Amino acid sequence: MTAMEAVSVYLPPTRTPVESLAGSLGLTDMQVRLFKRFHGLSEVGRDPDASLYDLLMMAAAGLDALRGRQHRVRYVLYARAMPVVVPYPVNPLHEVCQALGLGHALAFTLTHQSCASGLLAIDLAGRLLAADEAGRPGGAGGGDGQDCADGPLALILSGEKAFTREAQMFADTTIFGEGAAACLVSAFGTRDRLLAYASSVRGEFDSATGANDARLQREYRPSLAEVMRQALDEAGLTLDDISVVLPHNVNLVTWQRMCTLLAFPRDRVLLDNIPTSGHVFCADMFVNYQTACERGLLRRGDPYLAAAVGAGGGATFSAMVFEH
Amino acid sequence: MTAQETDLDPEFRERVVGTMTTVLDRLLDRPEPVTEDMRLMEELGLSSTLGLELMLELEDQLEILIDVELMDQDQMRTVGDLATFVAGHSRPA
Repeated sequence: MTAMEAVSVYLPPTRTPVESLAGSLGLTDMQVRLFKRFHGLSEVGRDPDASLYDLLMMAAAGLDALRGRQHRVRYVLYARAMPVVVPYPVNPLHEVCQALGLGHALAFTLTHQSCASGLLAIDLAGRLLAADEAGRPGGAGGGDGQDCADGPLALILSGEKAFTREAQMFADTTIFGEGAAACLVSAFGTRDRLLAYASSVRGEFDSATGANDARLQREYRPSLAEVMRQALDEAGLTLDDISVVLPHNVNLVTWQRMCTLLAFPRDRVLLDNIPTSGHVFCADMFVNYQTACERGLLRRGDPYLAAAVGAGGGATFSAMVFEH
Repeated sequence: MTAQETDLDPEFRERVVGTMTTVLDRLLDRPEPVTEDMRLMEELGLSSTLGLELMLELEDQLEILIDVELMDQDQMRTVGDLATFVAGHSRPA
């Protein structure tokens, strides 16, 4: 069973108040107040001196579980929301792989599910590793529940620079924050085990045309609730069993309304990072996971749920259920 | 009828309606004045973003804090429905 072996997060220490972004983002006073009062977005991380390579390296540097196990890493998946982030032929992913001693690994980028690509990367990494093991003579990993001490691993990287206006905000909805995450995945590990994954890709919600924006607004929360229920069904659980929900950090009011829709207690959704870090693209789940661990919200055996929506060239609604 | 609706102060609700229609007239820039029975989505085309801007204006002008997270758009078809919600789900700022 796919498992997250370890997670490391880097958030820039410098925080930028939303007011100070108003000029560059072309926000009116009213829009700034809306972001602060209802969306709960007060400040975001910005590190003007750090490149994308720097952000990813700082996240990977904190991944102690990677040290001495580089040779076991078979795949490096870079999950990101933006389709283009550097000019050709610059390739920060390959540079990071070289610097980390992972030049041997197959490295590629996942981007077409926008901010839901992070959850896709976890699922895909686990499936790639499991398929490799199934095809290996005598290899079926350790079997579920057993640690496979020498089994293959995948490294997921996530995180982006907020280069342009389009990469800095989603109009009237969210403001993106810089940061990065690194996550080591195994196919047969014991922690944190992936119990279920549900995802719904809705190509009709293409923001480039804007034709279905009003419909997306109406269907956003019900669609997310639906995949959350699907993942819970697949895991054989209900929302009552979930100790904490790790949301995407789109804004506060969306998740407050999600709680109303789901009749789920708001204090069991980890909203701590929205006011101070903003929407860290695909890395939200990892950022919030780390906070949940630091706050002692997850005990051994606790089931928890991660949810994300990627909106851009179509919309993707995704949910994952894990066991800590 | 919810507990909030039975406890509604009709005078306060009227103030909400008055302020709301005035703000909507300005935000939507319509040739006809907005009235209480008008449907928010179908007639006025109120987006959720504009809806939040309306809530912020109401908070400012009426000096209240509105529990916007409790809004159920399906239950609020008209300007009057929204005014009833605001009157029943707000507190002094």
